[in-house]
Amino acid sequence: MLTYIARRLLIIVPMAIAISFLIYLALDLSPGDAVSRMLSPERTTDPARLEELRHALGLDQPLLVRYWTWLTGVVRGNFGFTLTGGVPIGQLLADRLPATLELSGTALILSSIVGSILGAISALKRYTITDNVLTIVGMVGVSVPEFFFGLVAIVVFALNLHWFPVGGRLLPSYTTYWDHIPNLILRYARAAMLDALSREFIKTARSKGLPEWRVNLLHGFRVALTPVIVLIGFRLPILIGGSVIIEQVFQWPGLGNLFVTAVRNKDLPVVMTIALFSVVLVLVVSLLIDVLTAIIDPRVRLGG
Amino acid sequence: MKLYKVAAAALLLQTSLLGTAYAQALNGNPLSDVRVRQAIAYAIDKKAIVDNVYGGYAVVADGLLPNGPFKSDKLATYPYDPEKAKALLKEAGWDSSRQLEMVFYYDDQVTANLMAVLQSELADVGITMNYHLIVGDVAKTLNSIPDDPKGKSVVTWDLGYGARAALAMQEYFNDYATGKASSDGFPGSPELDALIAHSNAATDPEVAKADLKKIDEFIAANAITIPLYYQQLQSVESKRLDRHGEPYGNDQFNYDWNVQNWTVTPDSNGKSIMYTNGAPLDYFEQPWVNLGLWAGNKFIWAHMLAAKPFLDGVAEGDLASDYKLSDDGMTLTFTMRDGIKWHDGAPITTDDVTWSLEFALKTPNLHGVLASVFNSIDGAADYTAGKAEHVSGISADGKTVTIKFSKPNANTLLAFTQWGPFPKKSFEGVEPALVQQAPFWQKPIGSGPFMVEEAKFGDFSSFVPFADYYKGKPKIDQIIAWASSDGDTNMTKNAAAGRIDFAVTKVVGDIEALKGMDNMKMTPLDIPYTRMIWINQYDK
Repeated sequence: MLTYIARRLLIIVPMAIAISFLIYLALDLSPGDAVSRMLSPERTTDPARLEELRHALGLDQPLLVRYWTWLTGVVRGNFGFTLTGGVPIGQLLADRLPATLELSGTALILSSIVGSILGAISALKRYTITDNVLTIVGMVGVSVPEFFFGLVAIVVFALNLHWFPVGGRLLPSYTTYWDHIPNLILRYARAAMLDALSREFIKTARSKGLPEWRVNLLHGFRVALTPVIVLIGFRLPILIGGSVIIEQVFQWPGLGNLFVTAVRNKDLPVVMTIALFSVVLVLVVSLLIDVLTAIIDPRVRLGG
Repeated sequence: MKLYKVAAAALLLQTSLLGTAYAQALNGNPLSDVRVRQAIAYAIDKKAIVDNVYGGYAVVADGLLPNGPFKSDKLATYPYDPEKAKALLKEAGWDSSRQLEMVFYYDDQVTANLMAVLQSELADVGITMNYHLIVGDVAKTLNSIPDDPKGKSVVTWDLGYGARAALAMQEYFNDYATGKASSDGFPGSPELDALIAHSNAATDPEVAKADLKKIDEFIAANAITIPLYYQQLQSVESKRLDRHGEPYGNDQFNYDWNVQNWTVTPDSNGKSIMYTNGAPLDYFEQPWVNLGLWAGNKFIWAHMLAAKPFLDGVAEGDLASDYKLSDDGMTLTFTMRDGIKWHDGAPITTDDVTWSLEFALKTPNLHGVLASVFNSIDGAADYTAGKAEHVSGISADGKTVTIKFSKPNANTLLAFTQWGPFPKKSFEGVEPALVQQAPFWQKPIGSGPFMVEEAKFGDFSSFVPFADYYKGKPKIDQIIAWASSDGDTNMTKNAAAGRIDFAVTKVVGDIEALKGMDNMKMTPLDIPYTRMIWINQYDK
């Protein structure tokens, strides 16, 4: 397994470089640059001054030179400065990451635990009122877009009931949390549990005379967790990218909001740094999922 | 034939060309035919647009200049008359199979509604119009022009919807000068160029006003640009806020608003906190760009002079206690106020002022009115070209700063009501081109009534009173400004939750929502902000 992990880790480096270059290329091909995005369309500015700014920011360099400058900086641990405001990107990430982790991390952990448990209950109480209610809740949750849920939550909980402040921390977390649960309940946990309960080893466990809770929990639920963990794993990159829409709706000062602003300003160093984090996280997480799946499910073997 | 040409030339010379509308296409673009442009103007029902699209929160415009002292009574007007539009199009031989492309850059629903209305009204007179939101390099898409004014257009759009928010009235028209890269789509004319130059150089306000009126008349007579409506700004205030009779004004810029005298009802802890918006998303924007737009610009900077509320003159000195502009407009003298300090307690010196003036000349994105005035300073051209180490026209002696100009500028004093110096010591080693990228803008040291206490970019900024402010320590204990872009989408939500005490808005949806809130009140402010349709007349 260790050889497998080492090999996968080594592959991550060229993959991250290749993907980051493609992202850089795609961003560079879109019209305008950071300087042109700084301009108000309602005012004209001296072109000579703007060219000086482009030169000072290195935007007049060829694409490969700019990419290489950025990449070598990142390798040395220097993420550079924002083009628009000269803010150290490392400092920006340090400021914004906790807010995003607070939002997405809380939501991810709570929704994973509660979603898995409710999904298992739904499966165990199949075709009962409990199952139907949870299924309906799940369907509604899946159908309602995150931003709409957020806006309704503001109106109901902040403006009408005054339970939470509009600009506070609780409401966005709560919204993100609730929006993540239905996916887990409906799509994965319930289906996975039903699938597990129909397997031969469950019948074997029952025939051995094991108590029902033990059959369900240690044999059924443990196996049902495998696809749920894959799902949770693939949601991990939101820890970096943040819940972009929720951050926009609530003006949450996280990485998602920063990412949107940076794309709008064509601030390539910022966009690239966040994108690189996401790329690396996805690659690392996919490795982690493979390893965890092998640990949880004895049928899975790594290697080859 | 030769005799005929001479006679024609003599006739042209005898006739004032000003305001002449040539009833023919001047190039391969049918929009260069005044009749087509006038037809478009007649086809648009501005009153219906103001009432139905903008809920009545705007004023129908018949010229680019706002209503008031600058409004000419000789403007050609185009009241809604689709039949007249059709007749003009027929006379001009309009090809109804031709499609016009309209571009705009506001991504809000109200603008989308406006586009649908304009499309429908133009269709009623036989003009097919498609519309597109510009994304990406908006300024380049709008402002690119051919090197030769008679050359082919370098942009694909035919009509553009946009606005001018003016600090000085000349700003409405300077872009119409021949060869000026801008969005007006007008290749230029010698007559208009002469008027524009004269309006900028006139030191007598009445002379400048007469010039400006003539320009507006020329544009209207030739339907070069179609004014749609004047935007009203709403000052939004909670009932907790008391301005103590201090004036309302043009909150898009800086004026003598005396915010240090405002009060807010204290909270249960006895602390008076004023909530507002416009705090930075990722850095404080340096205040020489969007002059009075953001919370940072409004609260933390003082200026050389203080403007009257609607920018129609100087109210009093600000950092300069006295000032004198010579009668010929060629020499301006400031006497700096005693005891003025930066927020870190260091004195504001004449050296800060002279250094800042030179630094400003080399910064990118300097506001157009400031750039126009500063570039008129003697020796400015040599300095910006790198031929001189300093600007020869700027000097200091004791408490006095003297600025000599190479040519007069109508907006010299106005510019200094919007401009103040930066602390020189904080910018050592900073290239002027990279002024905005300086670390200073993470927590700027200003000169105004409030100073930055904390800035959580993208979240909020906190401002606290500057005890040494020369007009006295502000009475409000703290200002908390929520981070927002222009057109804060969260303003009404925060207002409903009691978390907005002061803001300004032009957004119809916000105004409608605020009307229903008992805790809020609004004051309409007439500002020079005209929304218009530009017409691309370059050859196609």
